[in-house]
Formats: sequence, C-alpha cells, structure tokens
Amino acid sequence: MELQKKLDRILKRVEKPGRYIGGEVNSAKKDLISVKERMAFAFPDLYEIGMSYLGMQILYNAVNKEEVMYCERVFAPSPDMEKLMKEENLPLFTLETKTPLKEMNMVGFTLQYEMSYSTVLNMLSLSEIPLMSSDRGEEYPVIAAGGPCAFNPEPMADFIDLFLIGDGENLLPDVLKLHMKCREKGLSKKEFLEKASEMEGVYVPCFYEIQYNDDGTIKKLCKQNSKAPDVVIRNILPEIETADFPVKPVIPVVEAVHDRAVVETFRGCTRGCRFCQAGMIYRPVRERSTDNILNIAKAQIESTGNDELSLLSLSTSDYSHFRDLALELMDYCKKANVSLSLPSLRIDKFAFEVLDKIQEYKKSGLTYAPEAGTQRLRDVINKGVTDEDIYTSVEQAISLGWRHIKLYFMIGLPTETTEDLDGIAEIAKNIIEINKKYNGPKGGKFRLTVSVSNFVPKADTPFQWERQNTPEEFMEKHRYLESKLKIKGVTFNYHDSFTSVCEAVFARGDRRCGRALLAAHEKGCRLDGWTEHFYPDRWQNAFEESGINPDFYAFRERTEDEILPWQHIECGVSKAFLLAEREKAYSEKTTRDCRYGCAGCGINKRVKCMTEGIYG
Amino acid sequence: MAEKFIIKFSKSGYAKYTSHLDLLRFFKRAFRKSGVALKYSQGFNPHPKLGFAQPLSLGYSSSCELLEFETADNLNAEDICEAITKEMPEGLEIQWCREATGLDKPLASVCESAEYQVTIPFSADTEFLNHVKNGYLEQESITALKRRKRDKKMVETDIKAKIRRFEVRALGENTVLDVELDSGSVSNCSPELVISSFCSYAGIDTPRYDMEVERMSLKFYNNLQF
Ligand code: SF4
Repeated sequence: MELQKKLDRILKRVEKPGRYIGGEVNSAKKDLISVKERMAFAFPDLYEIGMSYLGMQILYNAVNKEEVMYCERVFAPSPDMEKLMKEENLPLFTLETKTPLKEMNMVGFTLQYEMSYSTVLNMLSLSEIPLMSSDRGEEYPVIAAGGPCAFNPEPMADFIDLFLIGDGENLLPDVLKLHMKCREKGLSKKEFLEKASEMEGVYVPCFYEIQYNDDGTIKKLCKQNSKAPDVVIRNILPEIETADFPVKPVIPVVEAVHDRAVVETFRGCTRGCRFCQAGMIYRPVRERSTDNILNIAKAQIESTGNDELSLLSLSTSDYSHFRDLALELMDYCKKANVSLSLPSLRIDKFAFEVLDKIQEYKKSGLTYAPEAGTQRLRDVINKGVTDEDIYTSVEQAISLGWRHIKLYFMIGLPTETTEDLDGIAEIAKNIIEINKKYNGPKGGKFRLTVSVSNFVPKADTPFQWERQNTPEEFMEKHRYLESKLKIKGVTFNYHDSFTSVCEAVFARGDRRCGRALLAAHEKGCRLDGWTEHFYPDRWQNAFEESGINPDFYAFRERTEDEILPWQHIECGVSKAFLLAEREKAYSEKTTRDCRYGCAGCGINKRVKCMTEGIYG
Repeated sequence: MAEKFIIKFSKSGYAKYTSHLDLLRFFKRAFRKSGVALKYSQGFNPHPKLGFAQPLSLGYSSSCELLEFETADNLNAEDICEAITKEMPEGLEIQWCREATGLDKPLASVCESAEYQVTIPFSADTEFLNHVKNGYLEQESITALKRRKRDKKMVETDIKAKIRRFEVRALGENTVLDVELDSGSVSNCSPELVISSFCSYAGIDTPRYDMEVERMSLKFYNNLQF
C-alpha cells in the first residue's frame, strides 16, 4: 500500500493528527536529487514539546543552510499513534518527506532529560533499527545523540554510535560533512567513527571499555581504539555573536507549549549555583550584542507572524546590557503589537518597572525561586538570594497588584535539616501576612503556590558526589511540608519521588545502566516524563531483572577519588574547582558571581571569558 | 476598498488533518505576517475578527472553505489575496478574496446546507447501489447514533428531514455518495451520521478510516453564493 494511503487510514483515527503531517511554514523543502547527506533530528517527546525547543530550530537551520545536506524532523508518536503504526506496519518516518528513519544517513537524538531515554529506544524500535549499536550493520544510519544529558552519556552508550558533546551548531554540520565524504569514499562505519572521534566534542563509546571493581565502582577505562582520544573535550563556540541563529523558525501546526518568537541572548551562566548542571556545562558566558538580538527578534516576528516574543538564557536579567535591551524590546513590541515575555527574571526594582508595563504578567503570576528555605542552606547551594530580597520583591509585587505568586524550592539538598523545611513554611507564612497588609485580613483573591522538587545530583556539578534522598525520605518531607503548609491561600505541589530516583540513576549511571533501559523498553516504557504514561512498577521490575540496583547509583555517596562514569568527558570546568566548591558548600561559604571576579573554574584555559570581572 | 472580506480556500492533502482551532491560529498568524492588520473586538479580551463560515471536521478535505474577516484599515481585496496567498503552506490554496461589505450577518448564521462527496473503497454494481439507495431513503425514519452533547451518551436521532439530496454511484472500484445536508445554526446534520446509517443499511463494512470525505460547497439563505 502506498504510504499516503496507509498514513491516511492511520491519521483518521488518532488524536491531533497534525502532529504527524509536517509541511509547516518555514519547514525545509529540498530537492532530494541534489541532497547528499540526510539526517533526521529526533526529539524523544511529543510534537508540542519538541517544537517548543529552540535547540532543534538552531541545529535544523545550521544543517539545512548547507545545500547538500537535509535535516528533517521526527518526534515521538503518542501511544494511540504508536499502536496504529504497529498495526499497519508503518515504521517511524520524518515529517518533511515521510521517509522511514532507517533510510536516513544519520539519526540524531537530543537528550534533554533522563526520563526521555526510554523514548529514544522506543523510537529506534519503531523505526525497525536495532537498539544496540553492536547489532547495527553498515545498512543502518549512524545513530547520534547530543544535548545536556550527553555530558554523562554512559547509560546510553550501548545504543548510540556517537555523541556530540557541547555546542552543536558547527559540530553537527561538520560531522555530517565528514560522514558524507566517508560514504563517498566507500569507507566503513567504523572508519567514519574513527575519523569522527578525532573531532573536538565527539565521543564514540564503542572505542572504550569499562572495567569494574568488585564493589561495583569503576576500576578503569580501557581505550579499544588508538585513534580515539583519552579524554573527550567538549566543543565550545568561543562566541555566539557570529553564530547563525534561525530567523525563520518552523511554525508548529499543532499548538505547541511555547508558540512564540525566541532569541537566545547569551549562553552560559556566571552565578555558580552548586546544584545546577546547566550553570557548569555551558560556561563561559557568551553574549549576543543588543543590536543583534533586536535584529533577530524583528526578523523572527516578521517571518513568523508571532504575536509573542521571548528571550532565552539561563538568567534573563544577567545580560550585561539588560536595561537597554529590555527598554528597546518593550518599545519595539509595543509598536509591533507583540507581547513580550521575560522568563527567569531576577526580581529587582528594574524588573518591576518592566513587568508593570507588560500587563500579561499579572495574569500569569510572579515566579520566584529561592530554592532553599533558610539563608544557611541557600549559602550551601550558593543561591545568592537573601530573605530580605524575597520579602522586598514580594511586597512590591503585591503592592503593584499581583495576585498570584509562585515559589520554587528543592528538597533533599546536601546538609538539609528540618529547620530548612520549616524555613519554606516560614517564607510562605510571611508572604501571606504581607499580603494581608495590602488586601485586608482575609487576603482577598491572593494565591501563593509553593512548588517543591526533589534534588537530583547531576554530573559536572559540585554535588556530583552526593547521595540522593530515598523515596521514603522525600515522602516524609512532603508529608511534613504538607502539614506545615496548611495555610489559607497556599497551594502546595511536589513531584513524584520514584521519578526522581530514576532520574538520579541515569543522571550519574554507568554503562551497565543501559541494561535497565533495555529491560524497561521491553516492558513498554516510553514517554516517562508524562505522569499518565509513567509506570513505576515496570521500572521497578526492569531494575530488578537487569540486576541494576538503583540504590547504588542514587543513594550512595561517592568518594572523591572514585572514577566517575563521565570522567573521560570533559566539560571544561575542573575537578579541582568542583571539589573546592563542594568544600565551600559544607562550610556554608558562598562564591561570588564571576562577573565580579574569576572564581577559577578553569574554563578560561580553553576559551576567553568575556564577562570575567566586568563588575569587579 | 473595504474593511470586510471573505476568502475562499481549499484544504487538501495532509492539510486536512489541521484542526479547526489550529487553522484559525494559522490564519491569524498569516495575516499578521502578510501585514494585513485585522480589526479587534472591543472589551476585556480583544480578539481579531475572523471566523469560518462552517467548521470542517478533522480529516475532511474541502474545495469550498470560507473565511470572513474584518481589517483595521480600508484595503483592496486583490492586495489581500496576493499577500495572503504567499503565506499558504502545501495543501491550503486561496481561490479568491472578495469584499463582503453588503453582508450584515456573519456567514455562519446564514449558512443553510453543505454538499459532500464521500468516497468509499467498496466495489458494487449500479443496480445494487440504486436498490439500497431507494430502500435507505424510503425508510420512514432514518436513524443514526449520535453523541449527545449534554452527557456524551449515544442516542438515536432521525436525520431523514435533514438530508436534502442523496445520490449513490459506482466509480471504478469505489462507491461514491453525493449528499447535501442541513448545515447551519438552524438545523445541522453531520455527514458522519449519513455515512454510518447508510453503510449499516447497505451492509457496507468498509472501515470508516478508509473513506474520504470532501466538502464540495456551502449554500446560504437568500441565494447568497460564493
Ligand atoms: S574561568 Fe573564571 S570567569 Fe571564566 S567562567 Fe570560570 S569562574 Fe567565571
């Protein structure tokens, strides 16, 4: 049966068939005859999620601007679609040309969160591509993966031929070019991988073998191929000002989570929160100029017809010329009738001037992330926020008419005690009181949401050696907070504890953890980021059957000389720095934002830090 | 020059899987992009003034979709047509754009009926088809199962009075239904009810998902034609 017919009979029976049709405005159309290298960019989650992710648009643009290369997209099918695809024998296909993934030259997955790993396996299996890289012959595409989770690639090492570590906008097209040349020369996959492994930021896991000690820790890493480097060094763009940025992003046909124009203002972060992986692996800060940002914003609005514009970075207001940028953008947006949204804004006086003018905000509420309930614990995690900061901003917000405030905290952080939990309740109580000053003893329509997430220790952070709380500990803390937060006007939210355990296993897992992924896949796990598709019992069984003990990975404190599974992947921040930061955490000492002076993380040995000490 | 317009467009290929709401979003964006400023409603939550004459079910193609809208400025229909045509992706095709100055009511409120063509991959001879067609139409009442909005229960409903025209023909390996049904705010009949009741009457067991439905035309009161 021809493909369109087959698809027609499937699409008539699924929810939101628009997820699978492609043909969006600004999607790439190419003459397949002149295309020499074809890649499918695979996002292991639903269309609406993947299409909101800027990284895909950046890489899509970076590859497609090369005439001879064609990057298409594919997302995870929703379970109803998956079921029918199996029934009708329709393998997973790209949106642009409806080509089966197995006919691509390369399939590249982005690993944004650990809970998407099972979806990667499911997408491979729906593509009729063998899961294990060792089972894939020359006839199969090269399976690549990148994204923040690739900084500890080991749990996925058996399934992926090559990982791209670091900035992808030059690396990905270069790898594709190399693959194209190797194929033209008739070289084997192995020969290609050898050549690729010589590139900065490329990790080919099958060139390394891991040996273990009797206690389960890693004994040593044995290189199997002399061409492969001893340590894989992250690919870093020295600056992003000249990096290509998509001004004609693909416009989702089905409403996406974020449906707006987005400009990345800078990459990296100088704050040094000790739990935050992004704050370490994207160093140093690389900013785009204000003019460039404005131009990109305008071009995007014109090419998309979007009526909303947003900025992307790890901390919006840390942009060095934030004031000028915000004022100019506000001015432009007003004229162009576009609403401006400024996520993760540091709430200070200027923020209020800005926010007060952007009406939208009062509807969605003000968000604030103190992360910990006491000054002591905030010093431990190096979150530079004081009680006074919190209360002044909240008071200001309430006095300006905000009726909804959302607070974000993390529990299970190193050194946490009951006092720190009490601190969370204390802050909530005080905010409710502040509100009464303005809105009367009954508080009016004011709502306070307190969201608590479970701390997951991540690779490449000062907390990479820490133990995670057990689900029992988390649940106990949830119960405790729940009783403490029974305050009128306060809504308390928390995350599932077992999900956090799974995250912790794969965030710091070694190569053997792939067995658990495989078992979970066989039990039908996928789309685990969605509560409705997450089956804890399947995961529990998968761990048991594969002999992977989650406790070993999640709840065990590592010694500082233990060989960590990601030790051969270098993000550029030195181990000495991470250890020193850990030390400082335990002695409750803070480290200043390195815009006030270098904190010695080591990244400047690789590239110049343009924001080093600029306020110093 | 006017401030009120109608666009006629067709929907085919994969575009037929774009939902009503997504299509509305698409057009709003296309107008912004092409520089045609729409007029916004007054009030607390202003929204641009545009709407379809009749919603089209997901999965149907159509050669007669009508979108009416008001612009903020006095514009020329041809200019709009040219600008908006550029924004159409594969599967959506603008046929024309006309002024709608004389219309005082929204199209949705003056729509009376719609013609559909249903293609069923079921091969039958003309004699059989005529026979079942007559039998189907001669029933005292034509009952179909319909989901009641109130409680989502399936209830029986008589659609006989809502079927304005009903033809059946054989076309190669296919059976084709040409029907005209009430379609509007006064009386409305979904083609799905006709398809299911006819197929069950005629003993056609082709799965619904193998059939294709296309809306051929919309008809309006007072002989308004588009
Ligand atoms: S090297 Fe110094 S200035 Fe550069 S990111 Fe690290 S701490 Fe900051």
